[in-house]
Amino acid sequence: MGAPEPAALLARARQGDSDAFRVLVERHSHAVFRLAYRMTGSEEDAEDVVQETFLRAYRQLGRFQARAEFGTWLYRIAANCAVDFMRARAARRDQSRAEGLERLDADAAAASAHPGPDRLAESAEARARLARALADLTPLERAAFTLRHHEGRSTREIAELLGIGASAAKHSVFRAVRKLRASLAPLRAMGERP
Amino acid sequence: MSHCSESDLILFYYGEADEDGRIRQHLEHCAQCAGALRALQDTLDAIAVPEAPARGDAYPADVWSRVSAALERADAARRAPPAGWFAGLSRLAAETSDNRPSWRRLALAAGLAAAVITAVVAGRSWPRRPVERSAAVAAEAGDPLARARRAAIGDHLERSEGVLLDVINSNGDRVDLSTAQAWAADLIESNRLYRHTAAHAGDSLVASVLDDLERSLLEIVHGPSVATAAQLEAMRSRLDAAALLFKVRMLADELHEQELAPVQPRKRT
Repeated sequence: MGAPEPAALLARARQGDSDAFRVLVERHSHAVFRLAYRMTGSEEDAEDVVQETFLRAYRQLGRFQARAEFGTWLYRIAANCAVDFMRARAARRDQSRAEGLERLDADAAAASAHPGPDRLAESAEARARLARALADLTPLERAAFTLRHHEGRSTREIAELLGIGASAAKHSVFRAVRKLRASLAPLRAMGERP
Repeated sequence: MSHCSESDLILFYYGEADEDGRIRQHLEHCAQCAGALRALQDTLDAIAVPEAPARGDAYPADVWSRVSAALERADAARRAPPAGWFAGLSRLAAETSDNRPSWRRLALAAGLAAAVITAVVAGRSWPRRPVERSAAVAAEAGDPLARARRAAIGDHLERSEGVLLDVINSNGDRVDLSTAQAWAADLIESNRLYRHTAAHAGDSLVASVLDDLERSLLEIVHGPSVATAAQLEAMRSRLDAAALLFKVRMLADELHEQELAPVQPRKRT
């Protein structure tokens, strides 16, 4: 017997069948994690986003329109969860972020000190600088940039996914790119690549 | 055509320029703009897609295990909720009992704490449900259109909460608020629409919160795009005084609670 069709699973999940919802969670968990990781840049944060995404999805199952694609709907929830999470992280201006950046700096320093190929050191330092530059973006800028640059979403799609206007989506991408260019300029000056 | 702006080049790089053909033609003849595009490409091309750490075959089952446990806790917390705004705080407390850090709650903690104190000191409290809600609202409880409207307003409030949090959480001597302003500007029109709809439906509580929210969104939009620390503090004080973040959060939660999946899950295997 083949795997149940998404539409049938959704119909059962909406009627309260937890087994059906379990199958949906299990089918989409890898994809949600990948998006969450790209948006937050942290494994631990991504796991929190994954859990919150499925909890929200469960609460909102009654609003899901059968004509829509479940994966797309879930993607939208996950993107917004990630934005909320990044906002929370910005609110805490937290220890963990500082520690994370310190870790990246330490990795870069260790790589620089290592007798291995120069390229490795350059790459580690570039990664640390990029991570810092991304962490300094506002949540909306980072979300918009990730969706545009890493996920290949158009401005219109970004606006729809994040529930904002096209002008705000475009503005967020512009500002993110400008800030990243400014942050990464010293690397370019040294002839390195992030 | 005149030289390309950086925004033009960013849109061109991502294949979204309105005047793609004209820009392409201009780049063929303008060394300055062609150089600017190359510099932009160098940076953006080098920002590779981050590769997510591998997750094994057991990962989906692990996610389900965490999700189902959290759902059970939420169900238990909902079964005997106390009345009034304290109910919202109780739910938050129940959800923060998770063994994982409840980041969403942490995000709100600072704003909520200030807002709750302000609300209590000012003698305000969240209306006790359902006694103080209007008869018209109660009558439409089962109406699918009304459910859809409340769900949409709940989403709108969550987005607005995001803007408020961005402003409240900003720090520094000179803070660029232009992204928050662009976002707030987008929300104002829909806020007006929802406020009128709620007032027309007799939901004075929702209309009142949306009215307060609209004033704050307008203040953000018309405020400075680069705020000093003093200006930020003044904005924060006004938001705290109105307990706006607290009201928005509680109302969004209440509206979303009304749209929970109607049937509780069967016993899990």
